[in-house]
Amino acid sequence: MRLPPVHGEWIDRSKIITFTFEGKTYTGHPGDSITSALWAADIRVLGRSFKYHRPRGVLTMANHDVNALMQSTERLNVRADVTPLVDGMALTAVNTFGGLQSDKASILGAFSRFMPVGFYYKAFYTKQLFPMWERMFRTLTGLGKVDFSSPRVRTPKNYGFCDVLVIGAGPSGLAAALAAAAQGAEVLIVDENARVGGSAGYIGCTDSERAELHAAQLSEVQAHPRIRIMTSTYAAGYYADHWIPLVASDVMTKMRAQSIVVATGAYEQPSVFRNNDLPGIMMASGAQRLMHRYAVKPMQKVVVLTANADGYRAALDLAAFGVEVAAVVDLRAQTKIDPSESESQVNAKGMRILKGHCIAEAIAGKQGKSVAAVVVARLSASGEAEVAGQETIACDGLVMSVGWAPTANLLYQAGTRMRYEKSVEQFVPDVLPAGVFACGRVNGVHTLTARHADGRRAGSMAAAHAGFGVAELIEVAAESECPTHPWPIISHSSGKNFVDFDEDLQLIDFHNAVQEGFDNIELLKRFSTVGMGPSQGKHSNMIALRILARLTNKEPQQVGTTTARPFFHPVPMSLLGGRGFTPERRTPLHAKHDAHGACWMPAGVWQRPEYYRVEGQSRLECIHGEVAAVRTSIGIIDVGTLGKLEVIGPQAAEFLDRVYISKYANLKVGMTRYAVMCDESGVIIDDGVVGRLAEDHFYFTTTTSGAATIYRELSRLNTMWGLDCGIVNHTGAFAAVNLAGPRSREVLGTLTDTDLSSGAFPYLALREAKVAGIPARLMRVGFVGEWGYEIHVPANQGVALWEALMAAGQQFGIRPFGVEAQRLLRLEKGHIIISQDTDGLTSPLEVNLDWALKMDKPFFVGQRSLKIIASKERKQQLVGFELAADFSGTAPLECHLVIHKGEISGRVTSIAYSPNVGRNIGMAFVTPELAKQGTQIAIRITNGSEVKATVVRTPFYDPENLKQKETT
Amino acid sequence: MISSQPLSPIHGLLEAMHPLWSSETSEAKRVIRIDQRDEERAAILGLADLSHQNRAGAKGRGTAEWLSKLGVTIPSQANSWCPLPSGGLVARLGNTEFLVENDATLVEKIMQTQRAPGVYPVLHQDAAFGLCGARVNELLLQTCNIDFRMLDAQPSKVVLTSIAGVGITILSKTNGKYPSYRIWCDGTYGIYLWETLAEIATELGGGCIGVDAVQ
Repeated sequence: MRLPPVHGEWIDRSKIITFTFEGKTYTGHPGDSITSALWAADIRVLGRSFKYHRPRGVLTMANHDVNALMQSTERLNVRADVTPLVDGMALTAVNTFGGLQSDKASILGAFSRFMPVGFYYKAFYTKQLFPMWERMFRTLTGLGKVDFSSPRVRTPKNYGFCDVLVIGAGPSGLAAALAAAAQGAEVLIVDENARVGGSAGYIGCTDSERAELHAAQLSEVQAHPRIRIMTSTYAAGYYADHWIPLVASDVMTKMRAQSIVVATGAYEQPSVFRNNDLPGIMMASGAQRLMHRYAVKPMQKVVVLTANADGYRAALDLAAFGVEVAAVVDLRAQTKIDPSESESQVNAKGMRILKGHCIAEAIAGKQGKSVAAVVVARLSASGEAEVAGQETIACDGLVMSVGWAPTANLLYQAGTRMRYEKSVEQFVPDVLPAGVFACGRVNGVHTLTARHADGRRAGSMAAAHAGFGVAELIEVAAESECPTHPWPIISHSSGKNFVDFDEDLQLIDFHNAVQEGFDNIELLKRFSTVGMGPSQGKHSNMIALRILARLTNKEPQQVGTTTARPFFHPVPMSLLGGRGFTPERRTPLHAKHDAHGACWMPAGVWQRPEYYRVEGQSRLECIHGEVAAVRTSIGIIDVGTLGKLEVIGPQAAEFLDRVYISKYANLKVGMTRYAVMCDESGVIIDDGVVGRLAEDHFYFTTTTSGAATIYRELSRLNTMWGLDCGIVNHTGAFAAVNLAGPRSREVLGTLTDTDLSSGAFPYLALREAKVAGIPARLMRVGFVGEWGYEIHVPANQGVALWEALMAAGQQFGIRPFGVEAQRLLRLEKGHIIISQDTDGLTSPLEVNLDWALKMDKPFFVGQRSLKIIASKERKQQLVGFELAADFSGTAPLECHLVIHKGEISGRVTSIAYSPNVGRNIGMAFVTPELAKQGTQIAIRITNGSEVKATVVRTPFYDPENLKQKETT
Repeated sequence: MISSQPLSPIHGLLEAMHPLWSSETSEAKRVIRIDQRDEERAAILGLADLSHQNRAGAKGRGTAEWLSKLGVTIPSQANSWCPLPSGGLVARLGNTEFLVENDATLVEKIMQTQRAPGVYPVLHQDAAFGLCGARVNELLLQTCNIDFRMLDAQPSKVVLTSIAGVGITILSKTNGKYPSYRIWCDGTYGIYLWETLAEIATELGGGCIGVDAVQ
């Protein structure tokens, strides 16, 4: 039920919000979380457990447990405890079969003895039953239901910067921020809660002195000009150099800080006893959050289970809000000589205190959907509930405050060495990495005034580390009592005493796991799955560790903790995906290709026209049409994606001689030469054409995908060799086209004054000239097997060049052709494509490039390896092959295997039907014994059958290269 | 009649916005104004295409001396820039690499002058953008992991980094109420980068503007 207005409450009572949960309509207020609104409406069952489908209610009222996971339309696994209520929300609980109230899968609880720890793994032992178990597990497991039609949410991923990042806006974090800011640092405070203040805003707030201290601190922080605050945002991980992903509902910020203060506090820990998961049993801090933040009465009659002063404060808070405190059950036989202030106050109010007692079990109400009573027992010296003298106390709620586990995940990830501090029964930082500081509960400091002091200490040190002021030496008082009980774990013969609420792991599961040999914390985690649920062990890891320590007769320090990895808290996929940046390069002619109906294909980071659509024609007809245009008249292809580099300087030729397998020192000015590049192992990594513009100036191309990496590699080599030359990457600076076909000279001749005759501009020549008034570099190349020119112009005049060529070529039916046509044209010529007809092991010797290989040079990259390769027997050879002219079956595809005597003897690298040759032609790697012309090879195709082919000489088209010779 | 007037790498995108173009035909076309709301967007977050500007570059150990002989005052420090008297700028992109952006006279002079030993001319066909407005740093924080507060403190710095995955050169031209930056990238990335920045700029309340509105 809703309480009368509470000082500092987060809700706006002036407005009403309507929403539905499991099909029923409820109301709440702005500022409510989903859970607070439902709890105010006396809804006690908010979800079902993962394994046994047990009813679950509030546990922490924080972003820590997953008792209340819900689905809000397409949004999965919404954490109802902290998700703000929005008008019109339609919510359902996740992981139910037939609805929350009558979940049919709850029957699984009755079979729990047949599902012991590790049964998931054991189920798969029998191969025959594997499919059955897989189907069953897939059906029964999982949380929310993914709606694959959900729109992609393109959330931004920000970078952020600050001097000091304070993680956690509780009392110690705020004190740290103030201290750091006072020394001049720009401070960012980040907190997962909707408002700052942390536990000071809900623990012991009925104490006016604490409330005033809290209010004063808040005012100071909010007024400080150097302090920024990010609420509803959690620091999800730690990465090197103080990079912290800060996750909010709609944005992830990658924050970089000069120094970090981890003031993340601690998770209140549950006690383990039978039925400790019934709705109505919650952390004391959970009940206090309900009351102070949302003005919701957690229960009517409560038993408080405690082992520290916080539990007594909770009892006082509950009583102050009208909850009847039936008893305070203290696990400690005696606290100390002087009781804490809160305990004295509880005493003074006449509340019943049972010291040295525990909860033996909770008694479930109807259908296990509530708690009806608790059984209180004396706690034996060995930590067991004594049978004699047990008392049943009726109540509708139980709050637990038996200790804390540090929220040290970020500290672990940062590389902090932790030690188990017996005086506070928790791990505390022992050695912190440079620039990382810790304060407050995570540092083992629990008393409010001490947390303030500890925060000031850490804040001052963090600011000093970031270069602001001098670290102040501040004394922090030691804890006067241990805030955490070392063994809040009560065994029960009937089990259902849960250690991990996510995975429904019971105490007996740990006994069994250790008995089976999983007695190391990492093994135990994986076998039992403790801490592997969405809560990531926030309430189970420390208890599991204590159990393992006791079962193996070790100290917690000896047991150690599991490895903490980012993200320690689940992050929505939409935030991880965020706004994707996928850089894409487009040539200056991109819009022209679009206008011609280009069908695009990716080529590395580029988009290239695969072919150009023609209405009424199939893809293959379009490609063959483009091929025909090049063979019979004229075609034009955008080759602007080729890498375009220059090397300039007195030793430019020597540089090229060192990086390519051929010779360039003897290349005449105004000529080009094919160029193949190998790596140190003699494997082909790139090819292109080198042209000589001047004695000391070369212009050369690389493959489309190789441009960036080749430039980087050449720059590295040039730096290493220290030759007198420089390399310039002009890949993006030039637009380039290949004008090819019997009519190409005629068309180009209309646009330039340069003499294009065969004598003046022979095959493989390079000229600088103007084309359509545009300064251009022209290369007579023959990659596609026709008379043609590569024309390179400044990128900003690429469109003008294209338009001029297209206009000039119109009379001859000029057609733009795409990558597929080019592939077929060059295949007809037997020209290889690097990385298609070669792979990561191919040397020039295997692809018939012996003619280009000049082993007599003093040095080139890969030369030494090639000498060794040449001295050995070849394992494969690239050959041309053709299918029978009358072949009419399913043709092989690239990568289909060549089979010889039942063994793999090669693979197809290229294949296509050539209208010019009149049959399917291709290239394939084969073993040397099959490389002889006329050899019949068998190619296994997808359906398993074999297609016969004949090894033939290449080129398939114009073998005498007559197309490059003047005929008129 | 086919015009050989140089075009911006993002010409097609600009044309689709039906902007007001410059009327000179002797120089590269530039967008004067997108629409009547240019100034409004510029105050929040404006993105303008400045690719039309004349530019030349060179690298190599002899370049500093060579440029000085051509009368170009160069920055003394690597990764810094300085303005030119005629309104352009010289950016020193490393120890021995320079970018000059200025009127056609100086740029042509640099491009036409015979290179000296140790001078390797660089053809700059970059996409060049201007970013300005009150929220420009929010856009940069979404796309780049550099703390641009550093540029505010050292306005003569040039930074070579990447935004949205694209290698860029960036410098601060802030001299008014709001921050203002100039960005250069390989022209073939221009369309991608413009589209990416424009999308974010629009989300943040700004958008594309013409050169007249760039602060």
